[in-house]
Amino acid sequence: MSAPPEKELTVMLVDNEPARAAIVEQAMTDSGYRVIRRLENAKNLTEAVNQYQPDMVIIDIESPDRDILENMSRLTQDNPRPIVMFAEEDDSRHVEAAIRAGVSAYVVDGVNSGSVKALLQVAIARFREFHALRSELETVKSQLEDRKLIDKAKGLIMKHQQCDEPAAYKALRKLAMDRSQRMTDVARNIISVMELMGGAK
Amino acid sequence: MSQKQENTTPLHNGIVRIGFIPLIDCAPFVIAKEKGFFDAESVDVVLSKEASWASIRDKVAFNVLDGAHMLASMPIAATLGIGTMKKAMQTSFTVSHNGNGITIGNALYDQLQNYSDSAADIRTGLALKKLIDNRDEQSTPLRFAIVYPYSSHNYQLRDWLSRVGINPDEDVQITVVPPVKMLDALKSGEIDGYCVGEPWNSLAVEQGVGHMLVTGYEIWGSTPEKVFGVNSLWAEQNELAHLAVIRALEKACAWVDEAENQTELLEILSHPDYLNCTVEQLVYGFSAIKPKGQFDWPMEAYQRFSGSEINKPLPSYALWIMAQMHRWQQLEEVPSLNEVAEQVYRKDLYYKALGLDVEKDDSWRLSSSSESNWLEAVSTGSVSLHPEGILKGFSE
Repeated sequence: MSAPPEKELTVMLVDNEPARAAIVEQAMTDSGYRVIRRLENAKNLTEAVNQYQPDMVIIDIESPDRDILENMSRLTQDNPRPIVMFAEEDDSRHVEAAIRAGVSAYVVDGVNSGSVKALLQVAIARFREFHALRSELETVKSQLEDRKLIDKAKGLIMKHQQCDEPAAYKALRKLAMDRSQRMTDVARNIISVMELMGGAK
Repeated sequence: MSQKQENTTPLHNGIVRIGFIPLIDCAPFVIAKEKGFFDAESVDVVLSKEASWASIRDKVAFNVLDGAHMLASMPIAATLGIGTMKKAMQTSFTVSHNGNGITIGNALYDQLQNYSDSAADIRTGLALKKLIDNRDEQSTPLRFAIVYPYSSHNYQLRDWLSRVGINPDEDVQITVVPPVKMLDALKSGEIDGYCVGEPWNSLAVEQGVGHMLVTGYEIWGSTPEKVFGVNSLWAEQNELAHLAVIRALEKACAWVDEAENQTELLEILSHPDYLNCTVEQLVYGFSAIKPKGQFDWPMEAYQRFSGSEINKPLPSYALWIMAQMHRWQQLEEVPSLNEVAEQVYRKDLYYKALGLDVEKDDSWRLSSSSESNWLEAVSTGSVSLHPEGILKGFSE
C-alpha cells in the first residue's frame, strides 16, 4: 500500500447512515485519502476531533450535531487546530453543490484548498449516488405497489363482470382514459367502491 | 409533510420555503400555517423542519430555503461572514422576546453549598466563582452548554459568568449541545450546567435533575430571541411575498399569546411534523405555570410573542449583538455599525407590511464619536443594557 505524500489529508466522517458512510469512505480510500474515523453519531464528537485531529470533518447536513462543530473554532484552549465551516469566498459554487447534495464540511485552517476541493467532490458524488439509489429503490417499491393495486382491481372486475383478464384490463384502461386519471388511481377507486359494497372479498 | 430537501432545486413559483427548528418559539410559523394565516394572506408557504442552526443558515444562504425561524444574531453573523461565508440576510420581524434561563446540575449545586453564605450567592454566581478559585488546577474544567456559538444563550451565559469575575474562556468550558439533548447531558454529568430556552430549564427543575439560577431577563432585560430572517436577495426580488409572510406571522403571534388558544396550540405543536413530543412537555413553554419550588420566574421573564413592542425589528439590538460578538472574539471590527444595523434589522419593511405610518425614529443610531468606540465601550462594560431591556435603550 503506497500513500502519495501530497494527499496526506486526513478525514473524519460523521454520518448516521452507515451504508452511505461506507460508500463515501471507500471512495475516499480509493482516491488515496485517509479516513481516520467514521462516527455514526456525534456522541463525544468534540473529544474524537481532539483525539484524532483530522484535517477535515465531513458531516451529513441533516445531522443535529452540526452545531457542535460550529463551536469548535472557539475551543482554542484544548483544540489548537481551529475548525471552520469551509468558507472561502471564491468557492461559493463548491459549497452550494455540497449543500444541495447534503454534505457539510469543516476544515482546519491552512489546509491545502486544492485537496479539500477534490475531497469534497468525492463526497458530493457519493452522497448524490446514494440519494439516487435510494430514490430508485423507492420508485421500484411504489411501482410494485401500483402493480398490486391494478391486479387486485382487475380481479374484482373479472369477478364482477364475469370476464377474462384482458377484458378487465381494457375496461380499467378505458376508465382511466375517460377520466384522465392514472390507472393506479382508478384501481384504488374501484377497490374502495367494491369494499364499500362488500364485494372486495 | 416532506421535510427533506435533498438534491432538489425546486424553481418555486410563488412558494415561500421557510425553515424552522422544532423549539417552542417556532410556534408562530406553525400556527400561521395550521390556522390559515398564511392562506389568508394568499401566500403559499412550505415549512421545512431543520435539524441544526447551521443547516438553517446554510440553506437560507444558498437558496434552498427563502427564510427561516432564526436566532436574532444569525442574520448579523451571516451578513458579516462570521463563522461562515458572507451572505446578506435580514429581518423585518421579531418573533419573540425572552424565555432563556441558566440551570446547573444537582452535583454542582451541592458543591456550591460549601461556598455560599446565602441562596443569593448561588443565584448570582458568587459561589461558583469561589468554587472555581478553590478548585485543583489539574481538575477538568466545569462545562456549560449552549445551543449555538452565535446566540443570546452564549452571550447571556458569558455575561453572567463574567459579572462575578469568571473568565468564560479560561475558567470554564463552554460547549454546544443540541437543546433536546440538554437534559440527558446534565443527567449524565457530561455537562455541569446550561443556558437554554424553555421548557428545558423548567423540565430540569420538575424532574429534580437541576437547579435553575437565573432567567435571561434578569441578565439582559427584555430582548429579542428569535426573528424571521430571510435571504436579502430573495427579499429584494419577492417583496410582496415577504410582506405577506410578515402580516401572517404578526397575526399568528397574537394568536399564540392568547391564553384561550393554549390547549389547541400545544396540541398542534406536539404533532410529529413539528416538535414531536407530548403536550405535557410543552406546558412550561407557554403558560405562566412553572414547576413548584426552588425558582420563581419574574413575570417579565416569560417568552412573549406579540405586540409592536415585541415584533418590531430593533436596529439597536443589532448594535448590541455586534458588540457581544466583539467582546467574545468572534468579530474584530465593522466599518459602519449603523449601516449594518440598518441593513440587517429592516424596520421600514415591518411598517410597510403592516400598513403603519413609518416612525421616523433614528434615535437608535450611534453618533460618529460613539460609533468608533462602541465595540470597546460595550466589551469593557462602560455601556450596558437598561435593566428592563433593549426597548429602554442603554445605560452608561
